[in-house]
Amino acid sequence: MTSLAVARNVLRRILRDGRTLALIIILPLFFVLIYGNSFSGSYSDLTIVIVNADNGLASVRTQEVGRITLTVDLAAAFVSALDPDVFDIVILDDADEAFSMVGTEAWAALAFPKSFSNAVVSQAIRSSGERKVQFEGSSVTLLPSEIDAGPPTRLVIDDSNPLVASAVIAAFNDAFTAVLETQQSSVTVESLLNVQRLYEGKIRMLDFTAPGIIGFAMTLITVMLTAMAVVRERTGGTLTRILIAPISAWEVTMGYTLAFSLIALFQAAELFLVSLWLFDIRFVGDPGAVILVIVLFAVGLQGIATLMSTVAKNEAQAMQFVLFLLIPSIMLSGVFWPLETMPATMRAISYAIPLTYANSALRKIMLTGQGLGALTFELSVLGAIAVVTLLLSVISMRRQAYTA
Amino acid sequence: MTAEHVIRAQGLRKVYGKRAALDGLSLSVAQGQLYGLAGPNGAGKTTLIRTLCGLLRPDEGEATLLGWKMPSTRVRSQLGYMPQDFAVYNDLSVMQNLEFFGQLYSLRRAQVRERADELLDLVQLTDRKRDRVGTFSGGMRRRVSLAISLLHKPRLAFLDEPTAGVDPKLRRSFWDYFNALADQDVTLVVTTHLVEEAQRCHLVGFLMAGKLLTQGKPEEILAQTGTDNLDDAFIVLQERGEVPS
Ligand SMILES: Nc1ncnc2c1ncn2[C@@H]1O[C@H](COP(=O)(O)OP(=O)(O)OP(=O)(O)O)[C@@H](O)[C@H]1O
Ligand SMILES: [Mg+2]
Repeated sequence: MTSLAVARNVLRRILRDGRTLALIIILPLFFVLIYGNSFSGSYSDLTIVIVNADNGLASVRTQEVGRITLTVDLAAAFVSALDPDVFDIVILDDADEAFSMVGTEAWAALAFPKSFSNAVVSQAIRSSGERKVQFEGSSVTLLPSEIDAGPPTRLVIDDSNPLVASAVIAAFNDAFTAVLETQQSSVTVESLLNVQRLYEGKIRMLDFTAPGIIGFAMTLITVMLTAMAVVRERTGGTLTRILIAPISAWEVTMGYTLAFSLIALFQAAELFLVSLWLFDIRFVGDPGAVILVIVLFAVGLQGIATLMSTVAKNEAQAMQFVLFLLIPSIMLSGVFWPLETMPATMRAISYAIPLTYANSALRKIMLTGQGLGALTFELSVLGAIAVVTLLLSVISMRRQAYTA
Repeated sequence: MTAEHVIRAQGLRKVYGKRAALDGLSLSVAQGQLYGLAGPNGAGKTTLIRTLCGLLRPDEGEATLLGWKMPSTRVRSQLGYMPQDFAVYNDLSVMQNLEFFGQLYSLRRAQVRERADELLDLVQLTDRKRDRVGTFSGGMRRRVSLAISLLHKPRLAFLDEPTAGVDPKLRRSFWDYFNALADQDVTLVVTTHLVEEAQRCHLVGFLMAGKLLTQGKPEEILAQTGTDNLDDAFIVLQERGEVPS
């Protein structure tokens, strides 16, 4: 069987090259570990703001002793019923300030009015009828009082991420239900909350994932193209020829960057236009800001690709190295499920991936129309990645001349 | 020798694993010389050229080109290098290759055209200059590579087997051209396995196992080995080299 000879030869050549062998062993492991750890489905560290003006008192009529005041502290009970693993709770005094944080610093803000406890108790008595409680050592019968619902509890929620929004509402429901059950009442959550969605539920799952998918497509194409081109330039010997000419590694790198940035911009335009045209994805922000994000993002990707091409002996290896960026990019950068669902270790990886920042910036622009002022963090990180990887790729270009 | 030494190498050593590709090699070449590098396969000719050009860092020793310690960016515009493998863009035409490398040397469009005319005439590819290099034969590709290396009129050129796979007629005209360049004070270091080529050099260095076994004018080497042609001389030298003294 000559097929066996061919097979043996292929295997021998792969096994001989330590780097290829390592890649073959590590890649599947890497893939599974990332997938398994990132796809937990439960949320953590969702920041919410709570303003608790509830005085905790309920004033009720009784059959025996007239009107009495009970201390029930229902809002406080609700806050402590919230899962501390899921939420990072910020307590504020000013409701307006709290609501203004939604969409930027917090996913949701909830403001309990002064009469919250009172309203819940009177509703509970009205809906479940008379009942007896212990008051100052004797049993009293509570009577339904006049309708006094008071102002509703306002909940403002950022629904730019439909997944997080529904997770937050579900968690609030659970907490309310838990508190109300101890009151043995049939009061519903809906009747207590006045829910206001920041984007009125207009952001579809498609809109929500589109910026990340476009960013991922760019990562895929730019990194592959750049890494391949640099490896080819080196293995073909032309890089040596370039680097021995009176042109600095810096100029060579800038030339590459210019060319691939143009390609990246063209591809981005294609991705955006087709998505808008065919799928009518949400795009309410400034296209100029998108271009800025795309350029910084693309330059960083090229820098990373050039660095990968330095360690790759050939095109096949370059491809495999590229996967080490692509796999975490799709799974850990928040494209499908938010960073808040990932364990802290995985999130650390997320923060090392350019797509995390590009995705966050593009979402802010496209979904919520935020301007450059709101993108300072993302733009700074993308800019820093671009500058650092560019500098490193200049060094690596210089080095490649010696290894060519 | 009165002329300035444009190449100076002192105690170059480059080790790969256990094998020394260059083993304490020293060499000086004066301006305007046509220096032939001979020696068996694996002798270290390519390694020497790459080290002199600053493309490899020697483990020991140092090299100066045109008075600059290598690797140096100062000599680049005056340095020509033709690698042993083709190192051309196969997906571009001959002219596109020449234009690109010409731009790297800041040649103006007209200069590139003028130089291209001269060199394409030399390598006999004028009528194919619009063709993609990828469609060329091996010898033709090497001719493109030579044209690229000499495009910017280097003062000092290292040509690694410029005639390998090139037919005899063209080979002869290449060497006529090299001699003419040397007459214009261009310094050339050319590796070769061909005796008739070595014979056309001002000086021949015979490398073996990373050492410069001997160096001299072709007729001096003949006298040294007591042979009447360089072919025999090289074989004698190689056999001497293989016997540890
Ligand atoms: N990258 C490398 N890794 C390991 N060994 C190398 C490397 N490059 C060169 N060598 C070794 O160095 C020695 C000299 O090689 P070099 O290419 O300089 O020979 P050469 O004289 O140019 O031969 P040829 O006439 O075949 O072109 C050889 O033994 C070769 O195996
Ligand atoms: Mg060689």
